[in-house]
Amino acid sequence: MTTLLADGPGPASTAPVSVELPLTAAQSGMWYAQALDPLSPAQNTAECLEIDGPLDPAVFAEALRQVVAESDALRVRVQDSPDGPRQHVRAHVELPLLVEDLRAERDPERRALAWMRADLAEPFDLAAGPLFQHALFRVGDERWLWYQRIHHLVMDGYGYSLLVRRTAEVHTALARGEQPPACRFGRLADLVEDDAAYRASEAHAADRAHWTAAFADRPEAPRLAGRGALPSRTFRRRGARLSPEATERLRDLAAGLRATWPDVLIAAQALYVSRAAGRADVVLGLPMMGRMGGVALRVPGMVMNVLPLRLAVTPEATFAELVRQVVLGVREVRRHQRHRYEDIRRDLGLLGEQRALVGPLVNIMPFDYGVEFAGSPARARNLSAGPVEDLTVNVYDRADGHGLAIDHDGNPALYDDAALAAHQERFLHLLDRISGSDPHQPTAGLDIATPQELALVLEEFNHTEQPVPPTTLIGPIEAQAARTPEATALVHGDTRLTYRELDERANRLAHHLQSLGARPGAVVAVSVPRSAELVVALLAVLKAGAAYLPLDPDYPAQRLAYMLQDAAPVCAITDRAGRLPEDTGVPLVDLGTLDVSGRPWVNPARALTPAHPAYVIYTSGSTGRPKGVVVPHSAIDNRLRWMQHAYGLTGQDRVLQKTPSSFDVSVWEFFWPLREGATLVVAEPGAHKDPARLARLIREQAVTTCHFVPSMLQVFLAEPAAADCAGPLRRVFCSGEALPRESAHVFARTLPGVALHNLYGPTEAAVDVTYHACDPDGSGPVPIGRPVWNTRLYVLDAARRPCPPGVPGELYLAGRQLADGYLGRPELTAERFVTDPFGAPGSRMYRTGDVARWTEHGEVEYLGRTDHQVKLRGQRIELGEIEAALAAQDGVDGACALVREDRPGEQLLVGYVTGGADPAAVRAGVARELPEHMVPSAVVALTAFPLGPSGKLERRELPPPVFAGSGRGREPADAREAALTRIFAAVLGLEHVGPDDTFFDLGGTSLLAVRLVARVREEFGAELTIGSLFEAPTPAALAARLATAAPAAGDALGVVLALRTGGERTPLFAVHPAGGLAWCYAGLSARLGPDQPLYGIQARGLDDDEPLPRTLQEEAEDYAARIREIQPHGPYRLVGWSVGGILAHTVAVLLREAGERVDLLALLDAFPAEQWRERPAPEEGDALTAVLRMAGFERAGERTREDVLATLRRAGSPLAGLGDRTLARIVDIVPNHARMMREHRHRRFDGDVLFFTAAAPRAEDWLTREAWRPHVAGAIDNHDLDCTHPQLLRDAHLDTIASVLSARLEELDG
Amino acid sequence: MALTLEQIRADVADCLGEDPADIPDDENLVDYGLDSVRVMTLLERWRREHTVAADFADLAEQPTVEAWAALLGVS
Repeated sequence: MTTLLADGPGPASTAPVSVELPLTAAQSGMWYAQALDPLSPAQNTAECLEIDGPLDPAVFAEALRQVVAESDALRVRVQDSPDGPRQHVRAHVELPLLVEDLRAERDPERRALAWMRADLAEPFDLAAGPLFQHALFRVGDERWLWYQRIHHLVMDGYGYSLLVRRTAEVHTALARGEQPPACRFGRLADLVEDDAAYRASEAHAADRAHWTAAFADRPEAPRLAGRGALPSRTFRRRGARLSPEATERLRDLAAGLRATWPDVLIAAQALYVSRAAGRADVVLGLPMMGRMGGVALRVPGMVMNVLPLRLAVTPEATFAELVRQVVLGVREVRRHQRHRYEDIRRDLGLLGEQRALVGPLVNIMPFDYGVEFAGSPARARNLSAGPVEDLTVNVYDRADGHGLAIDHDGNPALYDDAALAAHQERFLHLLDRISGSDPHQPTAGLDIATPQELALVLEEFNHTEQPVPPTTLIGPIEAQAARTPEATALVHGDTRLTYRELDERANRLAHHLQSLGARPGAVVAVSVPRSAELVVALLAVLKAGAAYLPLDPDYPAQRLAYMLQDAAPVCAITDRAGRLPEDTGVPLVDLGTLDVSGRPWVNPARALTPAHPAYVIYTSGSTGRPKGVVVPHSAIDNRLRWMQHAYGLTGQDRVLQKTPSSFDVSVWEFFWPLREGATLVVAEPGAHKDPARLARLIREQAVTTCHFVPSMLQVFLAEPAAADCAGPLRRVFCSGEALPRESAHVFARTLPGVALHNLYGPTEAAVDVTYHACDPDGSGPVPIGRPVWNTRLYVLDAARRPCPPGVPGELYLAGRQLADGYLGRPELTAERFVTDPFGAPGSRMYRTGDVARWTEHGEVEYLGRTDHQVKLRGQRIELGEIEAALAAQDGVDGACALVREDRPGEQLLVGYVTGGADPAAVRAGVARELPEHMVPSAVVALTAFPLGPSGKLERRELPPPVFAGSGRGREPADAREAALTRIFAAVLGLEHVGPDDTFFDLGGTSLLAVRLVARVREEFGAELTIGSLFEAPTPAALAARLATAAPAAGDALGVVLALRTGGERTPLFAVHPAGGLAWCYAGLSARLGPDQPLYGIQARGLDDDEPLPRTLQEEAEDYAARIREIQPHGPYRLVGWSVGGILAHTVAVLLREAGERVDLLALLDAFPAEQWRERPAPEEGDALTAVLRMAGFERAGERTREDVLATLRRAGSPLAGLGDRTLARIVDIVPNHARMMREHRHRRFDGDVLFFTAAAPRAEDWLTREAWRPHVAGAIDNHDLDCTHPQLLRDAHLDTIASVLSARLEELDG
Repeated sequence: MALTLEQIRADVADCLGEDPADIPDDENLVDYGLDSVRVMTLLERWRREHTVAADFADLAEQPTVEAWAALLGVS
């Protein structure tokens, strides 16, 4: 092997001495990219020429030397200067040429390529230069490889072709001993000048305007990998070649469409990208050589530009139409091709957001390489075409008669070898299919998957055929009851039923239901809270042959009424009167009063078949109306038979029933154990939300099997007692929403040895259709898994053609578990249950609206939704239904709802409205119509919706709801406060929480409260309840509580409610309104700041059975005494809202009479007794209004105490946590106050009054603060607030009150 | 086989999808939709079927039928 570094004096340079030039715009982009990562070799471009024939290396080196001397760009180095980077064109550079004879090597070509690969990984030093490298390898007696690597800043693909042609020309002449023809290269200075002229021209301004307008809506770049990444230092390449015949077919097809082969290739890639990335709006990147008709035509250098080509790709359009779009689009691009890619991105504001402008690139390089070196022909092979941001398809037409070469280059951060190979194979396959089919047919007929992939995803992954007997949901339960009559079937609290007892009770009820018309095909509604009676009722309906319709007792009356009318059940079973609306005409079966002891205990006769419906479950409907899904016995029977096969329940198993019956997960909870002889453990109502109670229940009842929605699983696992469940628990099922891998890991750590199964399915396909057993050591997203028995999954693209593995598409379901459809909604049914083109004739598939993809191992991964349906804590919500409810509220012009995730893992449902409506009132209004899980956590009022350029709502631009804190930030006083602010911030997902910010004001929800209390318990080891969070809702208050090691708070129902105990100032006492609770002043505490102690005064009897006071005087005397226990002497400061104002006035008088100073009496929209005296005292109904007002609601349809509680629960009001007994007390306290108030006689207070009027018009227009005059000696300083009485202590109004109060308090403190 | 002016015009018209009668001798063909790919297509065809020494830059520099005829040695 001989090695020689060839160099020597070249021919006289055609260049003058060293010249300094600025960079062109094209070069600047490259310079900045390199400056970001100076050691990156990514901007190396390289190619290799295979020369077959004799070649004299010395002559070749001589030729190269001459070409370098002729090419300014090769002699450039680039240095930064105060005026920006400058390029220095040197008069002469040494020729970096390596010549090696590798003929002695075993595999010379391989050896040479290895050297080239290593050289390609070397970065150039821009400041030093030279920015190119040559090598010549002799790999055979008459075979040579000429390698050249050049920095992209100085050379582009077309430039290479100029260099190669000139080198061949000079070499050929020198080899023949002739004078080479004159060099016709232009100068680099010409390029620089031309660039500057363009940038100063009108054409530049016009081009810029063109691109800014064409992409004003800033379309999302299509991503084959599903995401973007920064360019790596290297790229992955997979090469292929299109045979001359295939190339010819492509040319013929193009000619027939009056296009060129690149147009066809671009159209094919657009079609592929559209389907594989699931986008109709496809933006491809087109590298343009940019030399036609300009001085650059003969200048080797860097000129090329990448420009966006935007195409609308739909399955309905034909391929010919797509090609036409490409032809016109490319023509348009060419007209404006000089405006730089980087400039377009900057003009559109994409640079700052690091957003891409284009998806994959199609780089067509029709460069002239038809050259010979003194008679030896050459073939060019590109080795690197520069940095690869995403995916680039390089297509080379070398005019050498060898067809087209196609390289797929991928960013290694996004594509591995297999992925790259798959994209290339599919692309070539698609080209083949396109050239063999009629271009005037819709592209829907063209698959992007290869035939092998089609067989995989349609057949191999769906081998689930399993013969099952034709049974029903109920049959196997009755058979089991006969087999093990004495075994325990059901446990609920102290209730325990054997299979015989359960069966007999259900049979008697079933006979009764049959007498009311229950039979196969009929529907019977069941509205019973979780209990043994609920299970009996469900079994009875099924035994009678009918389908059951579960109605959640907590749902608003309006929704229940709608479902009853829509489903028209033959009767409705409830546990007591008043549970269901009575005016729907549906006969009610009240279990509380029904006696079926006279009915037979044996199974009733019925003509039930597997095709009859087993249940009807309502789900959220996008048009604003819920829809009833009708599931036949055969479907759910298949589901439960598969589940038994997969997980094998035995008589020793105990299955927890905690899912509300209106969600279909409850179906397997109820019936699977009863089919298999296991025991059903029924949780108390409400228990499913309390992790500590659940853990205790699982342990005490030795539950082996249970279900969690993933978000509840997280809450459960955060509960310290959860770990104690590892003993009895054998398996846990998750479904309802995506299961985070982290949760699976926490599960494995917390409950080692317990199996975790991830299931997936919509109500429309009998609960679950896929399953995946979580591996404790697994990584990456948790798949939803493989299809269950007799079930086929299809992941389909926009043309409803199968997506290959790894490619996202919409998930369709087929097989035995499909529902019959939507009750009474044939059109909607036809829309979602469509013909299955891959199944037997007449079979159907269900369109889930879920986006998913196959893994290569035949499991499915869930990726998201195609529409606006969302899952919130496992429950399915159509945003359209919420938007319809919002829009129906008074004063709302437009409405929009979305689930925000402003902090990872914490989803918040937010409503947006325009129009004059009060957002709080809107929220209260929808809380009456929608179930709890569909009521937005916040409603935000906007003056207008943010719209994109096309006039479409820009959901991304909607602001996050602002949960205003105190606005009086201070640093935490000690480590405990600091830790608590941190925990608050973490749980609330806020960047910063001040020590005096109130949890509930900052957007804390009940679920978050559970989490917060758990975290505090964990970090401080302190006993803490949700009640104590309410009493001490700020980090400061909670810190104070922890510091004093105060015993766990009860429910914050004592006479003195310490809202803030710390602070230097004179305390403020706030007396409760009519309901007796002083919780409404919690917001005041935060707003008055940490220095102001604040005590709420609450009515006696809230938490015990103490007798209620007989007169206001007696009550006020009691309060005055309690106040003096806290603050023995004046000056006293008092505030009271509503009845609280009357009480505060009375307390003030009492304190004055005792000789104490009272320097503040603030009355919040309170009016003296005699104004009320002649007015009728309220009934219980009005007491309910008062309770609702305490929670910020105006009363609407709530008729009973239960209705009121339900409304509070749905709205997530902390008052809902009070429980029935306290609520009952409040309902007594309210009318008692109304009576006492009317009987009260005011005495005269000899000081001033600070008055706040809720100035919005009110029904009680006879109320006037002037009526206080006889009872107040001093001045009445009034402040009007633009709100109603109930709104007074909320939001902005409370801000106003607090600021007036705190100004007055400061004044008093001098 | 020697290249003729008529052959050049016919080939140009063919690759532009136009009628040869609509291709003037002295108009810039870029205005008629001529692009680098089409230049390469013509160049390949002419190299294959005729003896042509001109390269891409030569053709792209003066894209008219007339100029090409002179360049390609058509009398």
